[in-house]
Amino acid sequence: MYACIHSSDAANASATQDALLALAVEFSPEVEQTCSDTVVFSIAPLRSMLGSWQQIASEIARRGYARKLKAHLGIAGNVDTAILLARKCEGTLLAMPGEEASKLADIALERLFAHDLEIDNSVLETLHQWGLETCGDLAGLPESALTERLGMAGVYLRQIALGVRQRALRVRAPEVSYEEQMELGHPLEQLEPLLFLFGRALGDLCARLRSQSQAARLLDLRLALDGAREYGCRLEFPVALDESRSLLKLLQLHLERHPPGAAVVRFRLRMETTEPRRVQGGLFLPPTPEPDKLQVTLARIAGLVGKENVGSPELLYTYRPDAFRLTAPDLRSFPPEADDPRRHLLRLSLRLFRPALRANVHIANQAPTRVCAAGVNGTVVERSGPWESSGEWWASSEWHHQEWDVALDDGALYRIAREVPADVWVVVGVYD
Amino acid sequence: MANTAQLSPFAKPVRFRSEILPKFPALRIPAVPLLRRGISRGGITEITGPRSSGRMSVLLHILAQATARGEICAVVDTNDQFHPASAAAAGVKLARLVWVRCRGNTEHAMRAADLLLHAGGFGVVILDLCEVNRKVLNRIPLSYWHRFRRAIEQTPTVLLVCSSSAQTKGCWHHLQLQLQHPRWEGKPPFCLLQGLDIAGRSCKPVESAVQRLSLERTA
Repeated sequence: MYACIHSSDAANASATQDALLALAVEFSPEVEQTCSDTVVFSIAPLRSMLGSWQQIASEIARRGYARKLKAHLGIAGNVDTAILLARKCEGTLLAMPGEEASKLADIALERLFAHDLEIDNSVLETLHQWGLETCGDLAGLPESALTERLGMAGVYLRQIALGVRQRALRVRAPEVSYEEQMELGHPLEQLEPLLFLFGRALGDLCARLRSQSQAARLLDLRLALDGAREYGCRLEFPVALDESRSLLKLLQLHLERHPPGAAVVRFRLRMETTEPRRVQGGLFLPPTPEPDKLQVTLARIAGLVGKENVGSPELLYTYRPDAFRLTAPDLRSFPPEADDPRRHLLRLSLRLFRPALRANVHIANQAPTRVCAAGVNGTVVERSGPWESSGEWWASSEWHHQEWDVALDDGALYRIAREVPADVWVVVGVYD
Repeated sequence: MANTAQLSPFAKPVRFRSEILPKFPALRIPAVPLLRRGISRGGITEITGPRSSGRMSVLLHILAQATARGEICAVVDTNDQFHPASAAAAGVKLARLVWVRCRGNTEHAMRAADLLLHAGGFGVVILDLCEVNRKVLNRIPLSYWHRFRRAIEQTPTVLLVCSSSAQTKGCWHHLQLQLQHPRWEGKPPFCLLQGLDIAGRSCKPVESAVQRLSLERTA
């Protein structure tokens, strides 16, 4: 059974809305706020505590009177009927199971359409053209004929008019705040006690995340410093996390690299959430690193070698030599690829010198005969070139190279290049 | 056998490392006859040789096999010499590769490799120590190799160490490569480098036979 309270006090709408909600919450934790002047809640669990449906209705009315609410109460076996009864009646109206159709029979069809706004109003005009005025008239029509003429909308309206449509309460989920802040009793200069407090705050936040089936996409930290400007950092995670230990470790690594510079008097932690990563691991798929553990590992390595030196290489769409950028690695599980005969060939690869080694190159007959650079010194015994390469002539990043493959008498093969505008020779790399 | 006969029938027989059955199937490397049984997982494999001996080509081939199986791999590049375009041409799936550029700092390279191995879940981790000064290599504490070995044993991870001379202690495979001769097409001055012929020898397990490998240049 459901109870609906509908307020007729339009003058003070916002206060009435709060009062209705407060009254409903006194009887049930799950309340549907249908609109600003109507709330619905389940009263079935109250039967053992308050007695019969009439006693429950009188208790609701008594508490509403105590709150000085001008409202009407409808009680029925389903949500829609309870709402229609509350909007129809003056005072309290109770429809016991089996009585719904008779109690709804004299309600005008306009009220039915005001009840559910999803139905097109042209259907109401059609019903009026048929000479129908009340719910009782609509309920008397045969269902199959109504379906043929109005489709599913007709069936839906007829079920409401009969008071037989069952649906669950549309309970609005409470808004969860993913923010924690703390005012410290005295300024903290050291990182360790601060991390202890962060750990507690992150533990609470992660518990909230898991209760809502969410994960953190971004962590925003604001520190109010003693006698200095506010310190802020934003940690974005390639894979959403919901483990407080991993988040704390990432925060620690960041703060160790970028310390606040003054004592902390207040902090605020805020998370932006997203759907957590859900992966169905295959029994025969190769294992991959755990995403949260890998993020911590990559953050540690980034602390060693620099953030710009860790990641997955991605080739850029250009002919420029050695054009790439580093991105986050793809941690999805992939099934093994089909066997490709081309993968069974050993390909000759290049080992680059970064930056390219400046070289002195002796030229004879327009071809290099001797190469001298740091760690590379020898007479050319075989050569291939020049291979011209140029591009981006329209921008300041223009390049123009003449490349040679040379075999030196030290037994190694190198790729050397002449940078044409500057007329500088470099050793690009070694074939290895 | 005589000693075994004198033991009590209830004595637990000693199992040597070679008798322990591998927990994970080996990583198959079809193009390298020296590794015809594949690379054993949970151990260190070392590839050594001078410049142009095909070390990088063999490494990229192994990476290509591992990433094609769907494994996540890592390259710890001490001297920042990894060439992504060559890797892509060799068939490596770059999206499944973590590249750590250490810019010549060997200590950072060793620590990065340590962190990656302890994170777990990687198929192949490559530690590239080529072109590192011999004096610096000699200063690497031996305890690192022991630590690496303990970190990956009983895991499906392979640690591949590449350098100009043998570094690791207790590796399972050790391949020594040597350039035989480059293959040129055409006559001077219109030559074209077609590939390299290299000779490989397995130093561990010891095999006297020298295998010839052919590296083809990508079209």
